[in-house]
Amino acid sequence: MSLSFRISLSLLAGIFFGFIAVILTCLLTATSFAEFAGEIRSPEIISAILLSLKTSIAVVFLALLFGIPAAYILATKQFKGKNILDTFVDLPIVLPPLVCGLAILIAFGGEGIFSRFNVLFTVKGIIIAQLFVASPFLIRSTKTAFESIDQDVMDAARTLGASEFYTFKKVSLPLAKSGIASGVIMTWARALGEFGATAMVAGCIPYRTETMTVGIYMHTMSGNISASIALSLILMVIAVTTLIVFKYVGTMEDCNLGTRGAAAQ
Amino acid sequence: MIQLDGICKSFGENEVLSSLDLSAKKGEMFVLLGSSGCGKTTALSVIAGLMKEDTGDIYMDGSRINDTPPHKRGIGFVFQNYALFPHLNIYENIEFGLKAGNKRSVRGGNTTEVKRALELVGLDGFEKRNPMKLSGGEQQRVALARAIATEPECILMDEPLSNLDAVVRERLRHEIVQLQRDIGLTSIYVTHDQVEAMTLGDRIAVLNNGRIEEAGTPEKIFYKPENEFVARFIGMKNIFEGKIAALDGDNGVLQISTGNFDLTTVFVPSSVGTRVKACVRPEEIILTKSDRDTSARSARNEITGKIVSIFPNGPLMRVLVDVEGVEMSVDITRLAARDLKLFGGDRVLLTFKATSVHVIV
Repeated sequence: MSLSFRISLSLLAGIFFGFIAVILTCLLTATSFAEFAGEIRSPEIISAILLSLKTSIAVVFLALLFGIPAAYILATKQFKGKNILDTFVDLPIVLPPLVCGLAILIAFGGEGIFSRFNVLFTVKGIIIAQLFVASPFLIRSTKTAFESIDQDVMDAARTLGASEFYTFKKVSLPLAKSGIASGVIMTWARALGEFGATAMVAGCIPYRTETMTVGIYMHTMSGNISASIALSLILMVIAVTTLIVFKYVGTMEDCNLGTRGAAAQ
Repeated sequence: MIQLDGICKSFGENEVLSSLDLSAKKGEMFVLLGSSGCGKTTALSVIAGLMKEDTGDIYMDGSRINDTPPHKRGIGFVFQNYALFPHLNIYENIEFGLKAGNKRSVRGGNTTEVKRALELVGLDGFEKRNPMKLSGGEQQRVALARAIATEPECILMDEPLSNLDAVVRERLRHEIVQLQRDIGLTSIYVTHDQVEAMTLGDRIAVLNNGRIEEAGTPEKIFYKPENEFVARFIGMKNIFEGKIAALDGDNGVLQISTGNFDLTTVFVPSSVGTRVKACVRPEEIILTKSDRDTSARSARNEITGKIVSIFPNGPLMRVLVDVEGVEMSVDITRLAARDLKLFGGDRVLLTFKATSVHVIV
């Protein structure tokens, strides 16, 4: 590698890293600790945090309930229209959240097919919006994990007397657990950070449908920047923790199949 | 006993099994020998129920099992890549089949069967080890123990030794033979390796394009094949077209049509004038320099020819000799090749017994 090329590479990479670091530092230094501590004691902020945690955890459970079977079918079964279904599952990842929100709004709105469920401007609406946007992450990650299991291992289980369900329970699920864990982390983080679809479906009603991201938007619009910053910092801490855990799960996955020497009988 | 009647299996346009018939008798080691892509693994998958046949019937001890799911067929499977459960230790791997099949002993907490299976493959004491940390040979032993622990009616082995190095492969081959005979387990063993087939098989079936070309004892397949494909597949290099020129009791003299020489053989199953193919295994031929004394030989066939080329063939040397326009392959030891000081263009004498000439009608 020539010196000029190395310098160019370092310079461009340095500019990019600096850009990210400066912006994040601006957020971190925009408030004092005292101000932050004061803001997070406010009932509205506490309510937003609790609501976000509650809805995102519910989303994770629902995504597990429906996402694992969906991922297993997509990974192991061959059927007509599988590719179309696979693309549909991925669509919410690439669609703008506002478009997702609008679609849910139409489906659950006055003339919509699910209008009788009455979820608009409720916590259930938030959960539906977050589930719609975030669950593809779990399905994607779990599907990849199922696909990576050696077919011979599954076949071995069948020839040893295991039914399809027993094989799923005792072989597929344990071998896919790292992929499922990664999916859970990504889905939870995505649900927690979801704003566009949530705002479209559940609106921005303080104490009722005000999640952390909705709170940031509302407080910024009303000029209460310190409250926005406090919520943002909490989300940032969660994001950093998520990334660390995500990397740890990845490392676990590498080690899992290689070091399990003395597992208890 | 396992029996397949007219099994057909296609993947799209590609017909992999074409009306396959085979029958493995109770307690025997039945070897399916064939080259890559001839349908060996597909045949095993169909027998195990891992793949659904298009047409045909599968019988086990007289009962049709086409619609029996794999976990209820009682057929064990040993895979080429071992297929051990990486998230379970050795003990748990072997116990898996007992638990899945709800074997009484394990429900009662008795682990005798696991221990016994490990002892059978010489891995007692390995219970808590991680399968991924074992050598290939040890992993395949665990796979074998796991399959036999469930006491299947029959066991299928799909090239179980092909991922192992030569030394381990040979040792494990003998262990498999011993184990199979000790237990008396009906086994179908798939391989592309002729030596493995010869060593292991009570009977061998040569598979080609999804159907059995020939089945029989190793001696029959290797020394008296019934058709040219099998003869070529098992390494009969010298196959000549000719016709029966004369008969003298059981003995016959063959006139080789592509060359101007005769071969003497014993037991010709046809009459004078019949067109036949004559085969001689390269290792059955003795090669000497043609100017040396040959008076002491008892062999009935002596032909002179000219060396075309000499090249290594595993531990032996292969010598190609032109005999009256027909190319003959001869295998000699490296030591013999060195002592004889052979070079291309040398005239040599090829000598072989009448019993070494096999005739295919």
